[in-house]
Amino acid sequence: MPGRGLAAGFRGRVLRLGLLCALLAPRAASALETHRFPAPGAEALTLAVHAATDLSAMRPLIEDFQAMRPDVAVAYTEYVTAELFERMRASCAGAGGVDLVLSSSVDQLLKLVNDGCARKLGLPASGALPRWTRWRDELFGFTFEPAVIVYNRDAVPPEDRRRTRAGLIDLLRARPELYAGRIGTYDVTSSGIGYLFSAYDARGGAVFGRVMEALGRARVTLSCCTTELLDALASGRLAIGYNLLGSYAVAAQRAGAPLQVVIPRDYTVVLSRAVFVPKGAPQAEAARAFVAYLLSERGQARARAGSFVFGFDGADVPEADGPALAPASAILRPIEISPELLAIQDRAKRARLIGEWRSAVGAPSPDPPQRP
Amino acid sequence: MAVTALALGAVAASYARAAADGAYDRLLVAAALQIVESVYTVDGVLHVDPPFSAFETLALAADDRVFYAVAGTDGTVLTGYDDLPALLRGEPAGGLPALGDARFLGAPVRTVAVRRYVPDAATPGWVRVALAQTNEARGALARDLTVKALALLAVMMLLGFLAALFAVRVALAPLARVERSMRARDPKDLAPIGVETPREIAALVGAIDGFTERLGRHLALLQRFVAEASHQIRTPLAALSSQVDLLVWAERGAGGEAEERRARLMRVRARARELARLTNQLLDHAMVSHRVEAVRFTPVDLADLARGILRGIAGTLEREIDLAYDGPDEPVRVLGEALSLREAVANLVGNALKHGARTRLEIAVRQRDGFSEIAVIDDGPGIPEADWARVRRPFEGSGRRGADGADEGGLKGAGLGLAIAEDVVRAHRGTMGFSVLPDGCFAVTLTIPAAPAGGAA
Repeated sequence: MPGRGLAAGFRGRVLRLGLLCALLAPRAASALETHRFPAPGAEALTLAVHAATDLSAMRPLIEDFQAMRPDVAVAYTEYVTAELFERMRASCAGAGGVDLVLSSSVDQLLKLVNDGCARKLGLPASGALPRWTRWRDELFGFTFEPAVIVYNRDAVPPEDRRRTRAGLIDLLRARPELYAGRIGTYDVTSSGIGYLFSAYDARGGAVFGRVMEALGRARVTLSCCTTELLDALASGRLAIGYNLLGSYAVAAQRAGAPLQVVIPRDYTVVLSRAVFVPKGAPQAEAARAFVAYLLSERGQARARAGSFVFGFDGADVPEADGPALAPASAILRPIEISPELLAIQDRAKRARLIGEWRSAVGAPSPDPPQRP
Repeated sequence: MAVTALALGAVAASYARAAADGAYDRLLVAAALQIVESVYTVDGVLHVDPPFSAFETLALAADDRVFYAVAGTDGTVLTGYDDLPALLRGEPAGGLPALGDARFLGAPVRTVAVRRYVPDAATPGWVRVALAQTNEARGALARDLTVKALALLAVMMLLGFLAALFAVRVALAPLARVERSMRARDPKDLAPIGVETPREIAALVGAIDGFTERLGRHLALLQRFVAEASHQIRTPLAALSSQVDLLVWAERGAGGEAEERRARLMRVRARARELARLTNQLLDHAMVSHRVEAVRFTPVDLADLARGILRGIAGTLEREIDLAYDGPDEPVRVLGEALSLREAVANLVGNALKHGARTRLEIAVRQRDGFSEIAVIDDGPGIPEADWARVRRPFEGSGRRGADGADEGGLKGAGLGLAIAEDVVRAHRGTMGFSVLPDGCFAVTLTIPAAPAGGAA
């Protein structure tokens, strides 16, 4: 979960087995913060953006959009993904004054759109963004975020920075004394993105089961949030992070953390953060303009200059070690924004996947189940 | 045409709809079967794991919303949309998928229900899968198919129209040949149409031929009638004239009474002669008019014709008149009917002798600009220009200045000479013109298209 919406006091602490994270989620919902971006010009309207994405990641995009539309003020309310999902499920059609819903948990967004929450925007198909990033002219992916393996450069010597999942399994088996207890990943019970990534990993084949097993043997540290995992990696408390959001990892490395970002060479799961405009959006026109901006060349360029460093064209990101992710690359496993995601959202499948995951990594079973 | 197009369009739309439904229904059923296959039991407890492939199958209708539910043997919903199973009316018969249409979450959907018997569940029974999908992709496919079918239809109709047009043209080509043949033929040619025609218009051509034949018979009858009438009328007229002559001779006695009777008889004789002359002219007119209409044209030498007429009248002149021929020695040919032309020129000459020529009469013949001209010129007073149009009509008379009709009983030369000439020259596609020459002589000129070069002599 890329959310930064947790109370600041927990920042930087690795929450073993994700127990605390899960407990924290309801508490965070009551501590919602809304940040206002006043209109640069004469203010005509306020766009209510409800997002499960770091404000710092979206800030440059919002400000650039306001340069084009100086009459628009933006009220940015930040959620963790599950809260946003619950909020929207509760008032999908009426939407309660929500103009824009933005989240990395595209399976949740797709479920909402499938239930008829979104309005069609009439946006022409963009040449730069692939077909799988949009559905029904209602739900639009606008980022390209591979799931990566992150190494602490000080803790892991270069020869140990494995490039494939099989390599990682070998490493954990060969050198348990170095890495046991020092590898972390998302807790799928509390992290929407963690669940999404592992569900797609599970589609990837048998190798993921072995990864889970190896992680369990290595006493994996589980966390709800990308930021916490990256902080632990930067401080050296963790040596290896598996399946983290590549964009945030590169951003942390750019900020000076001693990290090595590796794009897996066997296959790479890619997420596209998505956005939709609810049917009852009060400022639908401005919301549509903001979506159009996010998909435009200008918006895409601005996003890559900021937090979302990877592009749909597969251009090389120097900080990330790995293959070029050209759109036609065979190792690319995009999380397609399509009814396929309904399978991810299926409650029976979710129960089964989480059960399997849990038994593989050795997580305790009485975890409070998270509703899809 | 518009009704046909509408009907065909409706049929095309209906077929397209059925085809699109058929295609997408298969996907829907396939997905439902995949989901129902994913049901399994562990220790009698039902589990279901809807496979990705089922949703991938449904995602082939890329932009359609998907709703599904799996209900266990006891009817509880295991996963999916809880209120979907209630929507599906009726039970799927046996293992067959049951398709239908409904509305769900505000959208029209196509539904399918399948079931599978699970014997090893705690309560053995049927597990049901309900699956619904919105209709956007199938609607788009149906529209696309309809538009393409209609486009094809339009092209086919256009081609059919062109083919029909072509066929009609080809089929009616013999008619055009008949028409050309009829136009090109000589008006006097009453032979059957010699054009090869298909059976379809043989009856028409036969009817035309039959009509032509009857027309030919009637013309021949008329011809015989005119000839007989000429003979039958001329003979009693001649007899009447002789009888009057005899009476005049018999009344040669003197005395006032006898004188008076003689004078009366003289008037009767003049009238009889006038009647004979008029009758002859009328019959001539009829004969000539008929001949030029009915007889085929042959090459006629105007020069020879002119010389013949001059020779013919040379010995019959009642007063001293110079006769002259002005023309080439070689033939000046026109295509025409020799007798009629001779009659026309003879009438002009007769008119000139009777009313005009004082001392001189000339026939001039020449060839000019594809026309042949024959002119009768005399030094008489001629016809006043004001009367040039009038005298062409029958019975308007030549009305020549100084015409001497007194001794003929005041009939003033009313006659048909010029009218006959006019008719004849028209039948030859020529014209008759009057002119006063620089030397004061009066000329009547017949201008007739020359015979084509190389025409038979």
